Amino acid sequence: MLSEQSSYPAELTHVDCMSAAEKYLAERSVDIILLDPGLPDAQGLGAIRRAHAAAPRVPLVVLTGLDDESLAEQALQEGAQDYLIKGQIETRGILRALRYATERKRLEWLKDEFVSTVSHELRTPLTSISGSLGLLMGNAAGNLPAPMARLLAIAYTNSQRLVRLVNDILDIEKMEAGRVIFNFRRVEVRSLVEQAIEANRGFAEGYGVRIRLDARTAAADVRADPDRLLQVVTNLLSNAIKFSPRDNEVVVAIDKGTDMVRLTVRDHGPGIPIDFKPLVFEKFAQADARDARQKGGTGLGLSIAKQIVDRLSGEVGFADAPGGGTIFHVQLPCWDHVANLTIDRDAKPDAVRVLLCEDDLDTALNLREHLRRIGLATDFAYSVSDALASAAATQYRAILVDIHLPDGDGISLIVRLREMPQYRDTSIIVVSADPGRGRDDLRSSKLNVLDWLNKPIDFDRLMRTLAKSVVHDPSRRPRILHVDDDNDVARALSEIADVVTVNSIEAAQRALKAGDFDLAVLDVALAKTASPDLLPELRDSKGNVIPVVVFSAKGADLASDAQEQAMLAKSHSSIDSLVAAVRDRLASRSAGVSREIA
Amino acid sequence: MTDIRILLVDDEPDIRAVVDVSLGLDPEFRTRACASGADALVMAAQWSPSLILLDVMMPVMDGPATLANLRKDPRTAYIPVLFLTARTQIGEIEHFVSLGAQGVLAKPFDPMTLAARVRSHLPLPAGRHAS
Repeated sequence: MLSEQSSYPAELTHVDCMSAAEKYLAERSVDIILLDPGLPDAQGLGAIRRAHAAAPRVPLVVLTGLDDESLAEQALQEGAQDYLIKGQIETRGILRALRYATERKRLEWLKDEFVSTVSHELRTPLTSISGSLGLLMGNAAGNLPAPMARLLAIAYTNSQRLVRLVNDILDIEKMEAGRVIFNFRRVEVRSLVEQAIEANRGFAEGYGVRIRLDARTAAADVRADPDRLLQVVTNLLSNAIKFSPRDNEVVVAIDKGTDMVRLTVRDHGPGIPIDFKPLVFEKFAQADARDARQKGGTGLGLSIAKQIVDRLSGEVGFADAPGGGTIFHVQLPCWDHVANLTIDRDAKPDAVRVLLCEDDLDTALNLREHLRRIGLATDFAYSVSDALASAAATQYRAILVDIHLPDGDGISLIVRLREMPQYRDTSIIVVSADPGRGRDDLRSSKLNVLDWLNKPIDFDRLMRTLAKSVVHDPSRRPRILHVDDDNDVARALSEIADVVTVNSIEAAQRALKAGDFDLAVLDVALAKTASPDLLPELRDSKGNVIPVVVFSAKGADLASDAQEQAMLAKSHSSIDSLVAAVRDRLASRSAGVSREIA
Repeated sequence: MTDIRILLVDDEPDIRAVVDVSLGLDPEFRTRACASGADALVMAAQWSPSLILLDVMMPVMDGPATLANLRKDPRTAYIPVLFLTARTQIGEIEHFVSLGAQGVLAKPFDPMTLAARVRSHLPLPAGRHAS
């Protein structure tokens, strides 16, 4: 539709999945992204987040058939400039929306740059002011007459407040640009909360408010960055304190669920006005414009808390408290739950196992999902020490290493893995969020690293690399690409081979790029529609044609064009006959190989 | 007991004044200040300070460039350098340290504890050195 509109001076590039988009955006720059968030490899909000993360500086417009108000709202919060619904907008409307989106994004970018520059510039005079006042307070205040000492204290307190404000602004700016590194580890929530309560006691006393830890509070371990989590609890506490009437209390409680730990902060304040509720986590949001001055807040605390909790793979929210006031809650993954995820339990028992050393849980889960499509089981290690322990306990066929790990860097991990005799020649792939630290690093040059990928990860390339190095093995079970959605067939085939089942041509093409197969099993209907697209691609990495067995549950005949392909076998209409035909095919493959050897 | 010589390099006169007073809280510290990287190179070579406090963002020759030049001159190559900066993101701290700095102090700093923090970055007392 857009390409027909000659008045729009644009060059249009079309990609059909998120990994292709991420790859494209990593290599080239574009002026605008038009996204349908119903892609084979990314849907809904996840697709919007990934597109935004792949190019945070590029305006993103969502164009979808899905008329969903709440998704539209979330899309805009996640960084999209507009949410357009197919059928409700004409081409000219789309073009106008694209121009507006570009302009809005440009202004947003200018604003972010401005905020960053101003914040840094503010620190220089602030350093002089707060430094001078701090020295006076520390040395001379005792010798001053009371009224002057009081004025000095006011100047000093307010300079500190200004420092906090500038820090908050910089924090949020860094967080939004994805430049904050999190150090994940096991954190005992109760003692962290006690620490936060202690640190805020003085602040609470200033407001005539008490903070109490609920008696039923249990000890619970979560996986988090302790400094960042402390910042979240501090922000929630200071928010609750500021909105509490004098002589009231703020109650903190911790509840341990099966997968999540829930932390709640209850105040007895006036509650959040209904029309302000959607804005609570927005930047500079204050229910009443006078609040900022009256309460001494920056309007950034809750926004920062939400950004941090998102990065901790958790959830933050609030509700009216029974009897007045508000309860804020934070849910974080239990340490035990996260520890349980380290072993890929959903993979087939005989799947090839690889180890992923990555401390970001969401990234790790996403990678596991991708690697499962090429038949790999992915175990996680969240730190260097975890990785060394897992590698010693299980023999992995490949290891993926994130350069940044909480207890050391990926390069030293690889050095130590290479010292283990069983990993001297194992495929190791580096994943790095920091393009500045490249493979030219002196130490890394001798480590025999198979590939070096920058984040966002190019999944196609990763899967190709892994498939080439890992999935090949002379003594391995045969591999079948099964293009169908029939589970019974997949189950029957998995008796005799490793089966990768996909249900679309696109997915089949991806699987073919990612790994070699000995045989393809196609549903007849798919074979008909797919033959021009898929059949020419049915080749392994050496260019050999992959034999095809066509299967029809309905017993239908093959399409004539498919029959013309010499590699097609006859149609099979029962699972038993299909398995028999597949066995034959695989046997003749082995025979062929042995003849070549003889 | 010998004096501990601190060379402060910052283009902001007010910050030089505050740092000077803050470091003065430690009776063993003797502080000299200059306003540019070029001056710092000359002064460091002549005065042989025990440690250099170096501002990152300065016109003409910035902190990292000054550090690189200090490392090239055998008279100043060994002097420990602490960066003083308003930019303190984790990645940046690692970057500064990888350039050969001893550490990074954030602006705004707490003037009452600045001297103690600088002291913690000093090399071992002279008596323990082989030279």
